[in-house]
Amino acid sequence: MVNNVDLSIDFCGVQFKNPFLLSSSPVSNSAEMVARSFDAGWSGVVFKTLNSDRLPIVHPSPRMHCIDYGSKKEMAVQNVEMISDRSLKHNLTEFLYLKKNYPDHPIIASIMGFFTDEWVYLAKAAEDNGADMLELNFSCPHMCIEGAGHKVGQAFQLLEGFTAAVKEVVSIPVIAKMTPNITDMNEPAMYAKKGGADAISAINTVRGISSVGLDDFVPTPNVFGKGAISGTSGPAVRPIGLNFIASMAQNDQLNLPLSGIGGIETWIDALEYMLLGASTIQVTSGIMHYGYRIVDDMIEGLSDYMIERGVGQISDLVGKALPNLHETEAFDLERQGIAQYDMDKCIGCGQCYIVCQDAAGQAIEWDAESRRPNLIEDKCLSCMLCKFVCPVPDLISHKEMPKEWKRQETAVMDSSLEKDIKYEPFTKEGPNECVI
Amino acid sequence: MSHLDKFKEMRKGLDLVQAIAEADRCLLCHDAPCSRGCPADTKPAEFIRKLRFKNITGAIRTIKENNILGGACGVLCPTSRLCEEKCSAMFKSQNRPAGADRPIQIGEIQRFLVEHSWQRSVRIFEKPEPRSEKIAVVGSGPGGLSCAAELAKEGYQVTIFEGRPQPGGVLRYGVVSYRFDMNFLEHELEDVKALGIKFQCNSPIEGKNAAEKLLQDGFDAVFLAPGLWDAATIKPDGKNIQGLFSSVDYLSALRDGRFEKMEKNIKGKAVAVIGGGSVAMDCIESAVRLGAKDVYLIYRRSYSQMPAEPDERIEALEAGVHFVLLNQPLDYVTAKKDRLKGLKLVRTRLGALDASGRRRPEEIAGSEWTLDADVVIEAIGNKAPDESPEWYPKVDVDGNKLIKADPETGRTSVPGLFAGGDIVRGPALVVQAVQDGKVAARAIKEYLKQ
Ligand SMILES: Cc1cc2nc3c(=O)[nH]c(=O)nc-3n(C[C@H](O)[C@H](O)[C@H](O)COP(=O)(O)OP(=O)(O)OC[C@H]3O[C@@H](n4cnc5c(N)ncnc54)[C@H](O)[C@@H]3O)c2cc1C
Ligand SMILES: Cc1cc2nc3c(=O)[nH]c(=O)nc-3n(C[C@H](O)[C@H](O)[C@H](O)COP(=O)(O)O)c2cc1C
Ligand code: SF4
Ligand code: SF4
Ligand code: SF4
Repeated sequence: MVNNVDLSIDFCGVQFKNPFLLSSSPVSNSAEMVARSFDAGWSGVVFKTLNSDRLPIVHPSPRMHCIDYGSKKEMAVQNVEMISDRSLKHNLTEFLYLKKNYPDHPIIASIMGFFTDEWVYLAKAAEDNGADMLELNFSCPHMCIEGAGHKVGQAFQLLEGFTAAVKEVVSIPVIAKMTPNITDMNEPAMYAKKGGADAISAINTVRGISSVGLDDFVPTPNVFGKGAISGTSGPAVRPIGLNFIASMAQNDQLNLPLSGIGGIETWIDALEYMLLGASTIQVTSGIMHYGYRIVDDMIEGLSDYMIERGVGQISDLVGKALPNLHETEAFDLERQGIAQYDMDKCIGCGQCYIVCQDAAGQAIEWDAESRRPNLIEDKCLSCMLCKFVCPVPDLISHKEMPKEWKRQETAVMDSSLEKDIKYEPFTKEGPNECVI
Repeated sequence: MSHLDKFKEMRKGLDLVQAIAEADRCLLCHDAPCSRGCPADTKPAEFIRKLRFKNITGAIRTIKENNILGGACGVLCPTSRLCEEKCSAMFKSQNRPAGADRPIQIGEIQRFLVEHSWQRSVRIFEKPEPRSEKIAVVGSGPGGLSCAAELAKEGYQVTIFEGRPQPGGVLRYGVVSYRFDMNFLEHELEDVKALGIKFQCNSPIEGKNAAEKLLQDGFDAVFLAPGLWDAATIKPDGKNIQGLFSSVDYLSALRDGRFEKMEKNIKGKAVAVIGGGSVAMDCIESAVRLGAKDVYLIYRRSYSQMPAEPDERIEALEAGVHFVLLNQPLDYVTAKKDRLKGLKLVRTRLGALDASGRRRPEEIAGSEWTLDADVVIEAIGNKAPDESPEWYPKVDVDGNKLIKADPETGRTSVPGLFAGGDIVRGPALVVQAVQDGKVAARAIKEYLKQ
């Protein structure tokens, strides 16, 4: 059954047997590791960012910290890792090994330089030793060397210049990897395109601080008494990654293939990136948490999804959700609804009551005797906070109300004070956009 | 670890990670049913919430402020019919998600937090302003300790009179050590002692009028919590039978210097225990662990009528105890020099309901038989000593010599004399004795204001 669907995908003319790639990071640090990942099912690799051996690369110790949520481990990871600390010679030899033994698995060489000659040198070296594509790392937020990484990603002329220089010397496709530490990714992406980039990948890690030591006041990871603002990755950053991928996918002028990265662990995470416009996806933190084996469930899960829906080609799903993605002003505010409770399933925990009281419309009465909530429909804001806390799946759902239904206004505490307010209604006309 | 070390040490509780994981499952209910289910108002929903929001010292404070024996209760409470019984996490709906259909392990979390407070040397109580009022507490079991702590926290001068050599009551001389060990008890007692309570051990308050006299000897109020330390027996004149023990003797021997001797009595022997309650369960399980050849439980009704907790019964069955149900002990068979040889039994059948709402066992005529046994332990009920009413002659007692006290205040018929714990309730629970101590302490403060 699973074989009936085709997960293979074309990315800048390079063929991948599925859309799942290792992203450039510790998970793609050596040929021995990458070979095992290919055996496990990953279709390709963005190899750990090469360095030119010009400057010594030493990773800080410890180089990561982890952010848990309750007893759930690794909701996010914080890292201060540098680009590859292996010599270029070793890394290129690894390329040859992989090309020789896994010819069907594309290698994307991630590179990072400081000035044009260095970018060009690395690009050529990678191409000459079998790289099928390049990924220009414009996005590491914490290289210990001033001027590198995301600083380039934020200086758009540099980004364009380096891309153009690289494009000039190689014939393989070039991806520009973007930093999320900006407001609108379309801007730098357009500069990359002008420089000749064939695709955009996003996101690299988000600048963040994972935690602060309460005894020593050192932010983590605590590198012998010093902390730093560094890169956050993992499930917590997924909404940020989806935002940037979707907004670039919607940009008709950009119109480049996208590789989605950030917080992917399951086939659903991957599929969401694809529905919003990514044609390949890359993973680091998910592998740092669970190992290469998760790709097994991505392949099987996505295949079954496609079989159930009669989708033959994975490429048919790329961008499928984009027509439904609008600015909020497009919403039809005439249509309103409320929460709806299937009370047979209620177990009486009362969490819905607490959040409705303290964060919503005070639309729930609590029957202490029977331990059951009672919704006053006219007060329900349809914020759905009650649904989020309710431990029973599908007990609470959203239902539309008839056109003539009106929500009660929030009551004023003491309207006798109204006569004392100092206020005049705002009457000036003006445009519905922000101008000074 | 040798099997004897295992006998003397209880199993480990949760660690921090496990406790947090368990607290993570909690639904943080509104008006939480677990808190309503705790007889001592230990406020489980509050301390679990505090743990969940990383307010660990606060969680410990909630427990210790509301239940000075929070550790003991965490270990010993039959939680499945108290706080955990109505826990919403049990998901009583038809579509319970798998894995979420068991209650939060409240007792385990409570135990963890208290043990954690010892590890981290958390001190909850400040030294209070000393007050002049003096209160005497009779008995250092859970009831006495709880009342004393509640008063000492506010600076009252409390003296506990304890008849036995060491404080703790059943916690020291009753419960078997693999369920509740000495190390745990000593830690929990440290917390109580730190409040500045005076312990006077080896000081039984007995003999004519002894308890009431405390009021004349300079104490402004007295709390009576002597528990139940006489054993019911089927053979009042059996004292000289070699191999016959009451549960009180047997279990307290396992907790003091007589351990080795008692172990010798049991090891390799055929042991029969009479009774069907929790105390009988402690006796049979400990006998198995001490290496008895065969352990019989003799009970005159049937399995489902046993008062012991369901999990205790199953554990005993699993441990290999032979349950001899529907059999009524009649007498003992002895060999020369009063050496016990066997137990004379008669089979029973269940008849009509009795006062306790259970079907009454009726002897089947002609069905007498003898079970060979080297040792018999009678665990058929603890009771107040026959002479105990003389210690407080003006205090009203009932037909079983239990003290009559107002459940809301612990007040007895004598002003200034309060009572609680097993001596009022009959055989009950640690957590209930704790509650009685709290209630009485409050009433004593009120009384002293007048
Ligand atoms: C073997 C056994 C196992 C049990 N297991 C559990 C359990 O797992 N969970 C649970 O919740 N409950 C259990 N219980 C019940 C629980 O221990 C009691 O309900 C509780 O200890 C009652 O507390 P108390 O303070 O009233 O009395 P006790 O704990 O009996 O303490 C009374 C104290 O008063 C002292 N005393 C007696 N007379 C005098 C006197 N005249 N002068 C001075 N001191 C005196 C005694 O020496 C004793 O130290 C068990 C009971 C027994 C016997
Ligand atoms: C420890 C660590 C090291 C990384 N090193 C690099 C790197 O050398 N080059 C690069 O382009 N991205 C690097 N990244 C970023 C990842 O490739 C990826 O973009 C980011 O972690 C988000 O994806 P994720 O949520 O799946 O981890 C690194 C990430 C981590 C956690
Ligand atoms: S949150 Fe859900 S289960 Fe809990 S009381 Fe509300 S409706 Fe019932
Ligand atoms: S009843 Fe259970 S789920 Fe609810 S607060 Fe108490 S422990 Fe938590
Ligand atoms: S004291 Fe006992 S009954 Fe009360 S919450 Fe703690 S474990 Fe449960």
